[in-house]
This record gives sequence, structure tokens and C-alpha cells, in this order.
Amino acid sequence: MCKNLIVSLFVLLIAAMALSACGPQATPTPVATQKPVETEELVVTEEPVVDPMAMYLPENVTGEIITAGSSTVFPLSERMKQRFEEEGFTGNLTIDSIGSGAGFTRFCVDGDTDIANASRPIKTGEGSETAKCQAIGREPLEFLVGLDALAVVVSKDNTFATDVTKDELALIFSTAEKWSDVRPEWPAEPIQRFIPGTDSGTFDFFVEFVMAPANKNADGKADMDLGEAAILAANNLQLSEDDNVLVQGVIGSPYAIGFFGYAYYQENAGKLNVLSIDSIAPTAETAESGEYPLARPLFIYSTAQIMQEKPQVAAFIYFYLMNVNDEILDVGYFPASQAALDAGLNAWYEATGMQP
Amino acid sequence: MADQSNGMDKLVGYPTKTLGLKKRHRLGESVIQSLLFFAGFFSIFTTLGIIYELGKEAWLFFRLPEVNLWQFLTGTKWQPHINEFGVLPLVNATLVTTAVAMSIAIPLGLAVAIYLSEYATIKVRNTLKPILEILAGIPTIVYGYFALTFVTPILRSIFGRDVVEIYNTASAGLVMGILILPLIASISEDALNAVPRSLREAAYGLGATKLEVAVKVVVPSALSGIAAAIILGISRAIGETMIVAVAAGAGPKFTFNPFQGAETMTGHIVRISGGDLSYDSIDYNSIFAIGLLLFFITLSLNIISQRIVRRFREVYE
Repeated sequence: MCKNLIVSLFVLLIAAMALSACGPQATPTPVATQKPVETEELVVTEEPVVDPMAMYLPENVTGEIITAGSSTVFPLSERMKQRFEEEGFTGNLTIDSIGSGAGFTRFCVDGDTDIANASRPIKTGEGSETAKCQAIGREPLEFLVGLDALAVVVSKDNTFATDVTKDELALIFSTAEKWSDVRPEWPAEPIQRFIPGTDSGTFDFFVEFVMAPANKNADGKADMDLGEAAILAANNLQLSEDDNVLVQGVIGSPYAIGFFGYAYYQENAGKLNVLSIDSIAPTAETAESGEYPLARPLFIYSTAQIMQEKPQVAAFIYFYLMNVNDEILDVGYFPASQAALDAGLNAWYEATGMQP
Repeated sequence: MADQSNGMDKLVGYPTKTLGLKKRHRLGESVIQSLLFFAGFFSIFTTLGIIYELGKEAWLFFRLPEVNLWQFLTGTKWQPHINEFGVLPLVNATLVTTAVAMSIAIPLGLAVAIYLSEYATIKVRNTLKPILEILAGIPTIVYGYFALTFVTPILRSIFGRDVVEIYNTASAGLVMGILILPLIASISEDALNAVPRSLREAAYGLGATKLEVAVKVVVPSALSGIAAAIILGISRAIGETMIVAVAAGAGPKFTFNPFQGAETMTGHIVRISGGDLSYDSIDYNSIFAIGLLLFFITLSLNIISQRIVRRFREVYE
């Protein structure tokens, strides 16, 4: 018994030594890189006469910024966070990737986040997310930050599917058992489906624009509930809020198919093929023009009150709107029109009481 | 410094109060006694709290007009979002992963236990056992990625990519078996060790070989302890979460094929509660019903194991 203890202590000791050996090597690097940046910035920003916007510069704010929501918006927010910190923000910015719906729940019901990320607009009307927000005294403010072309993907090993129609897509994600049920020339192999969870904006968007039109109710109108039931009743269906789980799954088999934000396709473009929908491939042009049938807006939400109480939140949103277009293509999404970004900026000025 | 000198004063003063010594001693005793009582009470209270909370939320679920208990226990489709409440696909996946895990953990665990208690020299045993116990100390999330990125590709290269899906219950089960192996080995070994030497010596005296002694005398004598170890291993397998959440798949599917992806009860709870939940929705309440079912399964297994230990226990001396 005693010897066991000694042996395990010894193992722990070795582990601790190995860890501490790594420590000192890692720490000095950020210090070295940060210092020159800070001094340069100070020279530039201190020269002009008092600028009212100075209080919203990244290096002049600190404290907590808590954000949560869409896994589609997540990589974009993550990149903006990185830039924001490079520019001198020293506070703590958290981004939880939990799906648009859950993001609104935390923003509107729990009220513990400052910003909600969403890949669909907030729902309005009675008992909706907006109403719940208002019930806890939050009036949601919408900022459009970019466009996504929802990517329908198959593995690189899939040699047969390159282009599908929207109706075929609805069939693939509902009643079709095998690929040959969709097109006779496709292989008679079971379809494996990998889709975002039911609380994600991506799921809602797909149901609204693909499943609902294919599942009409008695009045002949597209029906969200029927569409949702159709996709969830499909066989071989795997759902996850973690888009990387879906990527792994689709890569895993030539007979797998899935959909998620374009950024996750771009990141794995070497292993995935993206399908054209109605012969239109998702690109910057087709997304911006709205030609691509599955193009959609990406949002962040906050409120005027939060932005006034927490200047760091206002500073982050301002920084986001001013710089998002430098980064968005690299992250894998497409820039929103200047008019839409300007509308967001105007809303920002109004909320903070600043002059443009 | 000031504190220290105060302490010194007390220490110096202490032995002089000979009369108060007895009383003070008693006070300390009762403090310790009540602390210990509180510790025991606290763990029982926590269990009661968990049962209450699970029961309350599960009641909210079963009270819903769309749900009935019979359909819950016998339905073969689980998709609460569209009012499909058959828990069998989840239970089935749990049983498949558990069966695969136990098919690894029981034979290997027993073999290791027999080797350690009957064959290994003390020196070997004292080195091997702690190493084996390190296996049990590896975080299960690490095991999960080990299953997904190491075991699954091996399975796929053996049986073919078209047979083995990327997420499958077999690889999760195999790795879970490795996780549970030390648990079974360790408890079984304790049970084997508790068998008195006289039994072994009597068998040797009758001309039995070492293998015969181990398999025909020692193992049967320690059977109750081994059975308890196996049942504890099974409850561990049923409750195991991270490995199946990472490697077994993320969609409920009613299949007995271990090479296909399927979601276990614990895996489903993790996925639904890991962000994908709105309070007071059916999905949210349903995970408490699953939790309650899990609780009953492991509770009854533990009760069975206690019964077995009591009934088949060989009492020596």
C-alpha cells in the first residue's frame, strides 16, 4: 500500500517537473511581442486633442464581455476577439458556441450575456425571444455583421453528387433511404446525415428554406413544423451543436452528407466537396447578390443599456463593425453591404449618444 | 508573530489546567463526532436532493399530455422535438456499448487479477498494480478522443470503411473496456487475495497444479467479490459519459450493429444539455426522465451486487 503511494507520488513528481519545464519557455513570448505594439499605439493616440471616441478604444476599456450563441458566428467573433486583444484590450472576453436559440435564451431569459451571436434574426411576436427580452427589461439591438452561404457538403470520396436541386435536398434529408432513391444513377447505399442540433440557427434556417417548402400543409403553404418533423424523422441522422463533429462525420464516409456555415467548409476544403444548389455554387458573388438559395445574414445582438453600462461592450461592437470586413473573407464568410454595416453603426451611435 | 505568541501562551497554559483537561477533551471529541456525522449526513442529503430534483423534473415530463409511460418504455423512436418519446434506442445503445466494454473488461480484468494474486511475485505486483491504476486515472475525455482518432481508424481498416461508420458504438465500447479493466482487476484481486492460504495449500497437497488451484479453488471461493466487481464495472459502463459522447455518435438510432453510430442515454443528456436546450421545453424535461431511468438502472445493479455479496459470501474462520 505504502509502496503504491510512493510510486504514484513519483509519477506525479515527474509529471510536475515536465510541466514546469514547459512553463518558462512559453511565458516570455507574449510579453516580448506586446511591448513594442503598446508603445507605438500610445504615441499615435496621444498626439491628437481629446477625442470623445477615445473612451471606446480597445486599450482604454477593460472588464468582462460575455457573449454566447451561434456556432456559425463563433469563428468570426473569435477572430474579432483576437484582433480586439491585439489592439490592446486587456479585459476578459468569452464566446460560448451553443447555438443561436440557446444564445437568445441566455441573453433574454437568464440575462447573463452582453452579446448574443445569431445566424438568424431574433424571433418577434407574442411569447417570442424579443418578448422574453423585453420582459427582463432588455430591448434587443440588432447588428448585421456579415453573410453566410450555408454549405451543403459531402466527402471528397463522394464522386457522384456535385449539384442538387432544393427539392432533392429536401428528399435527401427526409424520406430517402438510399442515394439511389434520390437519383436512380446514384449508388444504392444508405444516406448518412449529419446536421446541426435543433436549437441552432443553421437548423432553423435549413428547415425554413429547404424542408418547409417541400412539406406543405393542408392549405398548400410551406409548413415549418411539418418540415421539422420530416427532417427529424429521417434515419441515420446525427445532430450536434459542434460543427467539427459534423465535419468529422461527413469526412468519414462517401455516403455521408451534412450542412453547416461556409467557414467550416472552407477550413476543411481539402477533405470536403461543397454542392451547388440549383446549379449555383456558393461564392462571395452569389451570396451577396442573394442568388445562392441558402445565403443568410449573420448577426450580433446587444442592448443600448448594456452598451452604456459597460463601455467595453460598446467598444467591442464598434470595433466589430469597423473591422469585420477586413477579416470576414479570411474566416470563411462574405461581407455584408456597406449600407447594412452603416445602419449598424448608426444604431451604435444612437445607443451610446456619440456623434458620428 | 503575534498569533504565534498567543498560541504559545495557550500551549504553555494548557497542561497547568489539569482539571479542565477532561472536559476539553470531551468537547473536541463531540466536535469531531458531529463533523463526521455531518459528513455522512451531507452525502446522504446530496443523494436525496438529486433524487428529489430528478423526480420533480421527470414528473413535469411524464405529466405532459403527449407523453405516456408505456410509450416511453417501449417506443423505438426518440426525437422529443417532434413528440417521439421511445427511450429504447438510447437504452439499446447504452446496452451495446456496455456489452462491448464488458467483453473486454471481464476476461482481461479477471486474467490480470488472477495473474497478480496467484502468479506474480511481490515485486512485480507492486510495480504492475500502480501502473494499472494509472489507466483508471486518465481523464475520460482523453479516452474519448483515443477511441475516435485511434481505435475507430483501426476498426475501419480491419472491417472496411463501408462497414464501420466514423462514429460507432464498438470503438467507444472497446475503449470503455480499457477504462473499466483496472476497476474489475483491482476489486477482483482484493477478493482473490482474501482467500485464505490454507485452501490453496490443501489443494496443492492433493496434487493440483497451479492453474487448477487458481481456476478451480481460488476463483470459486472469491466468486462473490468477483461478481460484485463485475456489476460495479457494469454500472460504471452504463454511467460512462464522455467516451460515448465523443465517439459513439450523436443521433438516437435503434440498432444492434456495434459498427453503426448510436447515441447512449448519457451521450444524449450531454448533447442536449451542452447548449442545445431551452428551459421548459420538452427536450429539457426529457433529459431528466432519462436521468431518472439511468439512476434506477445503476441503483438496482448496486442493490443486486450487494445481495450477491451477502448471499454467496464464503466466510472463513
